[in-house]
Amino acid sequence: MKQSGVAHIIDGNSYYTLERFTDVPVILASEGLNGFKHENFSSTDTERLSVFPYGPSSGGMVESVYFDILTQGEKIEDVRYDTDFKNRSIKISGLSMNEGLLRMERMNGVHAASYSTLFCQICEKGMNLDVPEGVELLRVAMMEAERISSHLFVASRLTGGASQNIAHMNILLLREDLLRAIASVFGHRYFFGVNRIGGIGRPVNLKEFGKKVRLISDEYVEIFNTLMDSRIFIDRLDKSAIIKGEHSSGPALRGSGINRDGRNFHRYYEGLDFKATTSEGGDALARFIVRSGEIVESVGIIERAISRIGEIKTGSQGVREVEGTISGGFMETPSGDASMLLKIRADKIESIGFRSPSILNMEAFAESIPASTFADFLFGYESLGIWISEMGDLL
Amino acid sequence: MKAWILRSFKKGIITTRFPKGKNEVASPWSTTPVYRDGNANPYCPTGAITNKKVDANLCISCGLCYPEFEPSMDVRGSISHLSVPALKKSIRLYSIDVGSCGACNLEVMAMVSPQYDMTRLGVSFTNTPRHADALLVSGVLTPGMMDPLRRAYEAMAEPKIVFAIGACAISGSLLGKSISDALKIDVIVPGCPPDPFTIVDAIQKSRGLR
Ligand code: SF4
Repeated sequence: MKQSGVAHIIDGNSYYTLERFTDVPVILASEGLNGFKHENFSSTDTERLSVFPYGPSSGGMVESVYFDILTQGEKIEDVRYDTDFKNRSIKISGLSMNEGLLRMERMNGVHAASYSTLFCQICEKGMNLDVPEGVELLRVAMMEAERISSHLFVASRLTGGASQNIAHMNILLLREDLLRAIASVFGHRYFFGVNRIGGIGRPVNLKEFGKKVRLISDEYVEIFNTLMDSRIFIDRLDKSAIIKGEHSSGPALRGSGINRDGRNFHRYYEGLDFKATTSEGGDALARFIVRSGEIVESVGIIERAISRIGEIKTGSQGVREVEGTISGGFMETPSGDASMLLKIRADKIESIGFRSPSILNMEAFAESIPASTFADFLFGYESLGIWISEMGDLL
Repeated sequence: MKAWILRSFKKGIITTRFPKGKNEVASPWSTTPVYRDGNANPYCPTGAITNKKVDANLCISCGLCYPEFEPSMDVRGSISHLSVPALKKSIRLYSIDVGSCGACNLEVMAMVSPQYDMTRLGVSFTNTPRHADALLVSGVLTPGMMDPLRRAYEAMAEPKIVFAIGACAISGSLLGKSISDALKIDVIVPGCPPDPFTIVDAIQKSRGLR
């Protein structure tokens, strides 16, 4: 199904939807489901201005995505995007829950811990499966380590784009150190294969992990403070791609001063004493500040989670057959909140509804760009941590 | 400025000696699993296992064969079907994502980080296939990227090398088609995603340096 602004499933004549930050499916009329469409510029636009095509494959972007940039010299008047070039149309319906999990890990591999946890949690809820607290806390530790890694990646893109080469290299170094630590603890740099429905897939040894992420975060804070003294760096991000209001997700939402973080509403995070990071301004700089604050906050969460994790047994509890149920959930991924609905029957996924944070943030980005310059385009885009991979169809 | 310089000195040399020396680390399940104990043919979602042996081209690093199998920790599992000595001194890479989850893209980019410092080996990225000696292709081949992939390949000058980075590009994994539907693969880089050391090793093999 194509993603829209709301996760939804069509079941007979009913549309089940999931509002943001909630896990209870509601029935909604179909008119509420507006998809995001790629539209072309009108001929009156292109008479006055030139269209600069960018993509779908270009050395400057991490993933394949196409933009039509309507421009007058350095100034951008408008932008249209097409994220369908690399759409894999991943088929989940008709598969067993375990087969679905393998695909969810590979939907956005960079955020595999968050998406595999979201998927497992919804399946477990649908089957009324009790998961040991230690497994839930381990999932939190994974997702927070993933957040640090993802935010470091965004920080590296911003510093690289601003030609802050020493900071750029130092951040890449920290990220690689973190990935190596993750690999040694979890067996995989992107957490593939750790989550299983109802449990975990392999033994993990968290002994030195908290200390390691603390060291990485301390070093990052030094780099961050040095960067915040650099007028050159700040000027590049300041007032770039200003996003205001509710129609964005994650650091973009919190960077516009809105204190909303899915972790505050998620039961996995209860008792982990966590404070959402916000900033004002709504620009690339505000998003960078939010991400930097979140790196430090995530370390605290990891430490507290690890202190509460007892012994965890490896293995899954197996899948229970269910009558036919629609179950939903949300997760605050590093890029923002994602919502998912699953209809489960027997041990199979009958249908899936999904809304990624990137679908909201891409729309917000396109709306923020008019009246910007080409330099703002890069910093605006990179500061949002958009992943095209998660914007494709899940069938 | 002073702060940056001091920090760099404090760090000392952190770049690997690989490929001359040994790789310091490996991402365990990104290396091809080897048989350990028990059932010789445990469940594998891609059918990569036959009688205690794993076909690296099919393995998606899921770990479902654990505990019968365990990671080999061997990062030199890539296969190059050619060797281009003309590129021994310098090779320029163009990375193209034809339908990836993003992880392979980031492992390719990881080679820039100081731990690998690919420039010391004469390896660099270019922003256009026109200037590239090699295409590093990641992801399953989606219909929308078929044409951009072919055009990127046609834009390159000879000699040109095609790398399939990761299980999706090699075999289509669980999610789609292999890139071999569009181009002949010269270098196979297994893993889901491949360890950065495996990518470095594959690049060296393609230019006859291993
Ligand atoms: S890791 Fe997964 S794909 Fe690879 S051999 Fe084992 S079960 Fe098969």
